[in-house]
Amino acid sequence: MSLHSISRRNALRTAAGFAVASLVGAPAILHAQTRTLKITTWGGKWGDIMKTSVLPAFEKEFKCTVQADQAFPFVPKLQASPRNDPLYDVLHTNSNEQWNSLTEGLVMPKITAKEVPNIADVYSYAVSDKIVGVSIFTSAIGLGYRTDKGLAPPKSWKDLANSKLAGVRGGYVIPVNSLGQAHFMMLGMVYGKGLTDLDAAYKALEALKPIKLVDFTGQMEKMLLSGEVSMGVIHDSGIYRYDGQNQPVDFAIPSEGVLALEQVLNVTPGSKVKDLAFSYIDYMLRPDVQKLLAEGVWYSPSNKKVKLDTKYDAKLFTSEAKVAQLIQPDWKWYNARKDDIDARVTKILRG
Amino acid sequence: MSAPPPNRHPLDAGHAAYLALNGALLFFLLAPIVVVVVFALNPTPYISFPPVGVTLRWFDKFFAGADFMKALWLSLWTASCVLVLSIAIGGGCALALARGNLPGRGWLTAFFMSPLMLPAILTGLALFQSYLLAGIGRPVWGLILAHTLIAVPYVLRTTLAVLYNFDRRIEEAAAVLGASPARVFFEVTLPLIRPGVFAGGVFAFIVSFDQFPVSLFLVVPNGETLPVVLFNYMKFDLDGAIAAASMISILLALSVVLVLEKLIGLKAYVKL
Repeated sequence: MSLHSISRRNALRTAAGFAVASLVGAPAILHAQTRTLKITTWGGKWGDIMKTSVLPAFEKEFKCTVQADQAFPFVPKLQASPRNDPLYDVLHTNSNEQWNSLTEGLVMPKITAKEVPNIADVYSYAVSDKIVGVSIFTSAIGLGYRTDKGLAPPKSWKDLANSKLAGVRGGYVIPVNSLGQAHFMMLGMVYGKGLTDLDAAYKALEALKPIKLVDFTGQMEKMLLSGEVSMGVIHDSGIYRYDGQNQPVDFAIPSEGVLALEQVLNVTPGSKVKDLAFSYIDYMLRPDVQKLLAEGVWYSPSNKKVKLDTKYDAKLFTSEAKVAQLIQPDWKWYNARKDDIDARVTKILRG
Repeated sequence: MSAPPPNRHPLDAGHAAYLALNGALLFFLLAPIVVVVVFALNPTPYISFPPVGVTLRWFDKFFAGADFMKALWLSLWTASCVLVLSIAIGGGCALALARGNLPGRGWLTAFFMSPLMLPAILTGLALFQSYLLAGIGRPVWGLILAHTLIAVPYVLRTTLAVLYNFDRRIEEAAAVLGASPARVFFEVTLPLIRPGVFAGGVFAFIVSFDQFPVSLFLVVPNGETLPVVLFNYMKFDLDGAIAAASMISILLALSVVLVLEKLIGLKAYVKL
């Protein structure tokens, strides 16, 4: 055997070895390069759109994998996970829970246009001092009502106290539902000196009895659809989603204003993929993504540049004038008093 | 000579009250199931009474939903594993406690029963934290172990009940007749305690299949059990699919009981 032939054989062997190794190792290397973003997100129609359209497109563009948790409760799970390796990189909740999370050091206090460039295009409410993180959408908490019960469309929050609605008005179990908590603060504003007038709110709540209480907004929708409730506190998307289905329900914006129910995104300080987390928030604020979700679930987009189709634009909060009707509760203030409020309202509504 | 009076209870006030109480209890137990059935078969996407018709659309929606199906299979798989594990662990522990002459037997029994005394939500939270701290994440086997922890006391309790009512002379007779300890166990002890073990196994299966508080913390995205999926579904889409899923759950649990009854005769245990 010549030296030349041995060396050629060796060369072929080595080449084949490299080829096999690269074939075997390629998926592992690719896998190692694929980063995972862990987020929380809603279920229902929102979750369907996220799973089928929004997240796959994000994964493709940013060459990553998104692990989207739809199983509540998000904040307790985040609390229980190590701070330096949090269970989520991006936390999506309503505003009240973000404030709780900030108190615990679970989320960042502010997100700016430096980290998320699309923040430059959002309405001011989305990054106001009442928001921790950034609000990507909002819905409006107002009054839903039956149109087939001979009721005049409500013009004021006070219309919910109409004696004709005794037993057929609907509200929430305040300790567990943020719409109920927001409505409670609104009672303070309508009947007293402002959102923080607890005495006026307690008194007004007492006057709403008898009232049907539910835990989730989905239940309120069904109670309105079934006619069990003739008028109830609900967010606009909970009514508008039945648009075109010939249901005898409508949504009213009381003259005192509507409460903002913000969909807030924030990043956890211990996230190991912070840049990807900011990219995700930026992506969610893109006009095309905002339009897709806004028209899918009837949420008002935060990005001013979004152009919705006429029927959505007519009803959702898509201009500075409309957005001015949104009232943002001070959740930091509320959360600090939540235990006392819970005890008192439970006593009132039980009695 | 006149015929003896028929063996019937006179319908006195006490007997009537007894019947009324039983009727009320049955109504209390079965009424929720009736509501679920009405909701599942009613075409309206909300609970309405009287029903406006009969439809199977909610069952269609349930069986056509990929999330529902994935969750159903995960729940069935988990419950099946829990059934096997809890029988092995609970049955073994019961034998050791009843026969092992172990010191501190009372304490050990209390220890093994303790998962039932702790709120399940706390058990779930504690396991969640432990898994994360140990760096193992939330694997399916972690969920199965957590369910097993909750299910073992059921098997333990039912097996212990059989073992304490067990006539040990039968085992002694087998031994005297020359059977080895292993043969005594497999041919005498095991057949006699089997109804108790499997009755506990049925409980274990149902407890795991319906387990919510422990699962809440231990499921992963796209790997949720049926109760967790239903809870989250209810928050956004409260329609008849929930009732259809509940009916399926009830029928599955009933099927497990009936199959086990057919296979091993749970009535024998009931008589004990």
